[in-house]
Amino acid sequence: MDTQSYMPVPPGVGTEENFFSLDDILLSQERLPCRTEMAFPRLGFLEKSNDSQDIPEGTKMEMPLWLAKGLYERKRRVLAVELPKMYREGWRTVFSADPTVVDLHKMGPYYYGLGSQLLHFDSPENTEIAQTVLQTFIGRFRRTMDSSQNAYNEDTSALVERLDCLERALFRAGQSGLNGFQSWEKGRTSHLTASNLVINYRKRKIAEVQS
Amino acid sequence: MFCEKAIELIRELHRMGDGQLPAFNEDCIRQVLEEMKALYEQNQSDVNEAKSEGRSELIPTIKFRHCCLLRNQRCIAAYLYDRLLRIRALRWEYGSVLPATIRFHMCAEELEWFNQYKKSLATYMRSLGGEEGLDITQDMKPPKSLYIEVRCLKDHGEFEIDDGTVILLKKNSQHFLPRWKCEQLIRLGVLEHVMS
Amino acid sequence: MDPSEVEFLAEKEIVKIIPNFSLDKIYLIGGDLGPFNPGLPVDVPVWLALNLKQRQKCRIVPPEWMDVEKLEEIREQERREDAFTPIPNPHYMELTKLLLNHASDNIPKADEIRTLVKDIWDTRIAKLRLSADSFISQQEAHAKLDNLTLMEINTTRTFLLDSLNYMYKLRSNMQPGTGPGKTQDY
Repeated sequence: MDTQSYMPVPPGVGTEENFFSLDDILLSQERLPCRTEMAFPRLGFLEKSNDSQDIPEGTKMEMPLWLAKGLYERKRRVLAVELPKMYREGWRTVFSADPTVVDLHKMGPYYYGLGSQLLHFDSPENTEIAQTVLQTFIGRFRRTMDSSQNAYNEDTSALVERLDCLERALFRAGQSGLNGFQSWEKGRTSHLTASNLVINYRKRKIAEVQS
Repeated sequence: MFCEKAIELIRELHRMGDGQLPAFNEDCIRQVLEEMKALYEQNQSDVNEAKSEGRSELIPTIKFRHCCLLRNQRCIAAYLYDRLLRIRALRWEYGSVLPATIRFHMCAEELEWFNQYKKSLATYMRSLGGEEGLDITQDMKPPKSLYIEVRCLKDHGEFEIDDGTVILLKKNSQHFLPRWKCEQLIRLGVLEHVMS
Repeated sequence: MDPSEVEFLAEKEIVKIIPNFSLDKIYLIGGDLGPFNPGLPVDVPVWLALNLKQRQKCRIVPPEWMDVEKLEEIREQERREDAFTPIPNPHYMELTKLLLNHASDNIPKADEIRTLVKDIWDTRIAKLRLSADSFISQQEAHAKLDNLTLMEINTTRTFLLDSLNYMYKLRSNMQPGTGPGKTQDY
């Protein structure tokens, strides 16, 4: 098993984000369809479709999750957040029929993270969203586990292709357990090797020289 | 939209998931800070206007900009913090002397931080295990034997071992050396551990 | 944990050797060893046994459980039962590998033993996966992992803990109102 000295800040998963997590920052960059329920004076230049000085009330625009979360208020109507299509009823039915057939990478890739974050906006469908997100994870778990524990010494890109980010992280955790054990069994753990970081740096340097 | 530059910083680090340190993106950081300055100034003047002229309809806009300020702040903080995690890892992978190519990727404050980290780690290691201290960056895995067989992958010059003998590490030469003396050089790809 | 660290722990297990040299008792922090007399069996930790064996200073007596008949029985029981059956040694996998690699000439039917232990391991790992899956799909809150060994747990630890953690978080989504309410993330 290659020991990694660099351990990034893990994502928060669920309704709470981890402030320093790069994954969570990218997740909160996902765009949501919104409608303003108040005017935003002097910010008209952000909305290319109109040429007024302001963003008028009732404007439909896409906003990153972080901004929608910051502006949204339960008591005051500032912003209405619509559900992205894969969390709406139509797709929820598809997910509950057979969660394993869906390409969560294409649909997401932060399907679980974004689904959890959407619960911040008091949608009447919140319970169903939370339920579907959980059931999807459970329904796909066996597959994620089996593929991560059976694939040894092979190209795994096809296996992870349709996985959401969270599932990919799980897949990697499973793989590192498996690879660690296999290399121990083959007597390779007592073999000292060059640091991966050092090797990757060297590869990059060579690539830079060549280009 | 605001905060586009800030997310660029994050993407740049995220692409290098293995812990490599990209060059410190001073230019991008400067642009983010400029945007923050502009946002802050616009908000200052709008706050004054809202207060003095009672223009409460400006409040949503002020809040909008405020969110952007905080977002930029989060991205920069996360960028700097994640880089520190990477720089700390370098001490464990490369040892206390970093190759110039990597040092060029660090800003002055990061170099300073690395030196401080190096020092406190050294102080800590000296305090361990009695008089001589204990190098905790060695023997990351339980050693099987005190001596190991190694092959030189490149010319590395003279090398002194415990008893004072000096050996020449010449490309393709093979040696039987104390494991703890070689571990670092193996990690750096100078020596290769030869298994019987 | 790295598997080599688990193996390191296994090297503290005690095994019987028959030395071919004599040496007085030696006193170490980890306990006293010896005295060693040629031909007289003595208990030593595995790390010492292997070291002496490599230098041809002793013969290793295989542990009682390292026996084809006994292992066949364990294998059958393991296949028959749903739960994990008790294993004669908490480091059976590591000890099998260490002893068979370094002292196979002292162990009768070494190849058969290797296969049997591998069979037992595979059966147990398959069970572990099956129970992990049912644990997740039934949304259980706790599980009893009796009789699992350190090496077995170690191969799946991160994967299992992360999965449970994710499931816990996604389940907490189901309880509205327990969240932080107004959030501080931007």
